[in-house]
Amino acid sequence: MTTATPPLLSIEALKKYFPVRRGMLQRVTAHVKAVDGVDFTIQPLQTMGLVGESGCGKSTVARLILRLLYPDKGTIRYDGREISAMDEREFKPLRQEIQMIFQDPYSSLNPRMTVAQSIADGVRMAGIKEKSDQQNRIKLLLDMVGMPTASADRYPHEFSGGQRQRVGIARALSVSPQLILCDEPISALDVSIQAQIINLLKDLQKELGLSYLFISHDLNVVSYICDHVCVMYRGQIVESAPATELFDHPRHPYTLKLLSAVPEATTVGWSPRVDAELPKATLPDGCTFADQCQNHDPACDKEAPALVRVGDKHHVRCWKSA
Amino acid sequence: MDQSNDILLAVEDLQVHFLGDGPAARAVDGVDFEVRRRETVCIVGESGCGKTVTALAILGLLKQPPATIAGGRITFDGHSLLDMARDDLRALRGRRIGMVFQEPMTSLNPVFTIGDQIGEAVLAHERVAAEEVRRRTIRLLDEVGIADARQRIQDYPHQLSGGQRQRVMIAMTLACQPDLIIADEPTTALDVTVQAQILTLLKNLKQEKHMAIQYITHDLGVVAAIADRVYVMYAGVVVEQGAAGHIFDRARHPYTMALLDALPTKEKRGRRLYSIPGSVPHPAYKPHGCPFHPRCPYRRQSCETEFPALCDYGAGHQARCPVLFADPAQTEKTS
Repeated sequence: MTTATPPLLSIEALKKYFPVRRGMLQRVTAHVKAVDGVDFTIQPLQTMGLVGESGCGKSTVARLILRLLYPDKGTIRYDGREISAMDEREFKPLRQEIQMIFQDPYSSLNPRMTVAQSIADGVRMAGIKEKSDQQNRIKLLLDMVGMPTASADRYPHEFSGGQRQRVGIARALSVSPQLILCDEPISALDVSIQAQIINLLKDLQKELGLSYLFISHDLNVVSYICDHVCVMYRGQIVESAPATELFDHPRHPYTLKLLSAVPEATTVGWSPRVDAELPKATLPDGCTFADQCQNHDPACDKEAPALVRVGDKHHVRCWKSA
Repeated sequence: MDQSNDILLAVEDLQVHFLGDGPAARAVDGVDFEVRRRETVCIVGESGCGKTVTALAILGLLKQPPATIAGGRITFDGHSLLDMARDDLRALRGRRIGMVFQEPMTSLNPVFTIGDQIGEAVLAHERVAAEEVRRRTIRLLDEVGIADARQRIQDYPHQLSGGQRQRVMIAMTLACQPDLIIADEPTTALDVTVQAQILTLLKNLKQEKHMAIQYITHDLGVVAAIADRVYVMYAGVVVEQGAAGHIFDRARHPYTMALLDALPTKEKRGRRLYSIPGSVPHPAYKPHGCPFHPRCPYRRQSCETEFPALCDYGAGHQARCPVLFADPAQTEKTS
């Protein structure tokens, strides 16, 4: 990367294979290549979008960054330090720097804890010892996410989905993180509430100087909120570009297919590119998208294409579009 | 032109209340709409607006109690569904009205093959020999785009992907050649490319089979993609209705306008999204007057006391907001 400022997070050649066990002896018969050589960087204050359909590996990337899973290969550097090689003790202080917001605010909050209790753990972790200071910090956090102070002593079930997501955000903020991994943070919410949460995330980014990894399958949201977007397909990034560039000039056939499938509320009547064929369960030798691709030729089956630069910060993994 | 013969389903002043402790929850609070033959009607609204309850009332699937149908009429092809005997209704449902739900895995029986389940639907319609059932089952799977139908009839639901399961559900409803399919968020749980396939399938089937579709969704993108006509619901009431073009190009109800403004798109990059203040009212404690008034930027004093009538913009486009009807210049200011 030739950018002047060092990236906050940089991921290189990241791989994670899950073994598939079969039969009585549970022998490993194959591997699911959940993440198969992923590279990207997140700059300070940047919102990086990671898009793709279910099973493409986007959530696995988030779990690897958080060290909920360990990579088979590759490196993850946070602020210049290689976190993938650290032991748990070394990583502990950094854990506060990277937080996560989940899709389902119903299941990510403990139903038996009040809002204040849910947030208090993080506040203590952040080193605030005094009880009254903790209370003040909790009030401030609730205020930041637009929740009334009175909500502190109430339980998650008393709130709507949007409010619960606000509590989830307050909890993530309680340890003063730099980077927040947002895994489908708004897809369980109603349209009018989605807009509230998106606005909140943008406000917080400005106020607190946050960086986001925004994982989503909703391309409309991604086109609105992200600065840069990586499109994942079967464990690999197939296209990476600044958001406006990606949505105005998509190059990879999979990106094109994905974009044409999104119905937009601005266009009445729409006909997507639909192919009946389903991807094969086994990965092809060459390009992973070859069996789905409309302009593939024999060369695509032989060798897998690399991610190559086609424009300013625009990279594509395709023999024919590069 | 008399279109009354063309109307397949008519819902008039439907009221569904849920009884519990405290005041009754008026989930559906005087809903009127109609579905004509061979058209796709979308009912759009956020969770709790009453769109699913309306569909369940049509299908006679509401659990009573706690639900009660407090008033209104539902007429399907000349038959009054609310007055119909249970067995007659069951015969009609499935045979002439098909249903597709959001989560196909919970609608399919996990211990029977999909061939058995589609075959059962075929038999419910007509007593035919086993060989004929098999033949029709395979043809139905072909029609909904499942490859190798001959082998796939042996499969159990868990062996299929989400999109394939939804195709099986559609095949089951098609078994009886219904006049109307009621689809409740059938693509919400699916990936976008699979959603595109299912929507295209429904569009094509509607053409081929001359069916009408009542499609219930919260996704305005999907509405724009498939709807002929649209009803926008809020707090148990239809607040705006019209052709898809009316709703998306010149919405005249503040709620519809707000929903469209709240959608993130690449054109709105760098601008703040409009967000509707507050939240949807609880169905037992709805505000007086217009149900949307506490969240509405155009509200007047009168909105707090008077329930708004539908204002007619012509060509079937109606919106329940007299304020914007009297002063259309208001809409220009904000959009």
